[in-house]
Amino acid sequence: MVKLAAKCIVAGDPAVGKSALVQMFCNDGAHFQKNYTLTTGVELLVKTVPVPETSDSVELFIFDSAGMELFSEMLDKLWEQPNAACIVYDVTNEQSFNNCAKWLEKLRTQTSGVHIPGVLVGNKTDLIDRRVVEQKQAQEWAETSGLEYCEISVKEMENYEVPFHILANSFHQLYKEKVEIFHSLVNWKTGANQATDIKDL
Amino acid sequence: MRSTNFCLSTEGADVILATSSDEKYPPENIIDGQSETFWTTTGMFPQEFVICFHKCVIISKLTIQCYLVQTLRIEKSMSKDPVDFEHCIEKDLEYKEGELQTEEFSFPEFQATHLRFIILSAFDTFVSVHRVIAEGIAQDI
Repeated sequence: MVKLAAKCIVAGDPAVGKSALVQMFCNDGAHFQKNYTLTTGVELLVKTVPVPETSDSVELFIFDSAGMELFSEMLDKLWEQPNAACIVYDVTNEQSFNNCAKWLEKLRTQTSGVHIPGVLVGNKTDLIDRRVVEQKQAQEWAETSGLEYCEISVKEMENYEVPFHILANSFHQLYKEKVEIFHSLVNWKTGANQATDIKDL
Repeated sequence: MRSTNFCLSTEGADVILATSSDEKYPPENIIDGQSETFWTTTGMFPQEFVICFHKCVIISKLTIQCYLVQTLRIEKSMSKDPVDFEHCIEKDLEYKEGELQTEEFSFPEFQATHLRFIILSAFDTFVSVHRVIAEGIAQDI
């Protein structure tokens, strides 16, 4: 049994529903934030997600970032060494979708080449008449950008847990892969290697 | 006088603190004398572990075997309890894909009852620590 810990950045344009999503997820759907409040800086929420078919879990440290801060340097400090990314857009707002590329780019500058799990989230699917970003278009962009994809409606409480479960599972998978690599490092039982030399001490 | 490795459970050493614990890869693997077994970190840096010797030892050389560790800081304490740690060394390690990092630190002899290893940053999301060796001579407390 292991409890992993991941710093999960939630990013996206203002008013796409980042805070509503994070709040809904962390209080298990008990409360939908009806009134909009602008997030400034970063809000940190912590929730443990079990990994299916294992006794393992991932403790997500969710950094809900201010959407106004796309070009702010303050985020650079708060976003240091991220482990997972959740990029949210509003399916009724094309600009919020187009800006996802900028959010992703900003995140990638923080990871110094390390692969981290990421998910693209289209919110507000309940507003069917006002929808402008089609699922196919978003899904294709997610794929080419190495992100998972899901659509949600926080208001209707639909799929609001999915993005975080996707990230927790991917992070757990990443850990298992690394552990395999750690095992493979010391298969040098024959020959005069450092590892065996030092063992004599 | 023959030099000893104090970082061994068979020499009485314990890992008294580790910030990550996967029961399959526990911190005790660092002091079991084998490179094949290891401790894993399970997320978010910094990560650290503290080795207690339960006696005062004189150390002249430290070796750590690990993988994907970037910035490592080592501190020592001479107190009976794990307090009052003093800076020993801080170094950016190099790394080659698929190769265990073996890093040696030589010092003028110093006394310690505890050693603290802080992994400040890493080349990837998780790192492993396979072995720590502290060579020197034992002394009564």
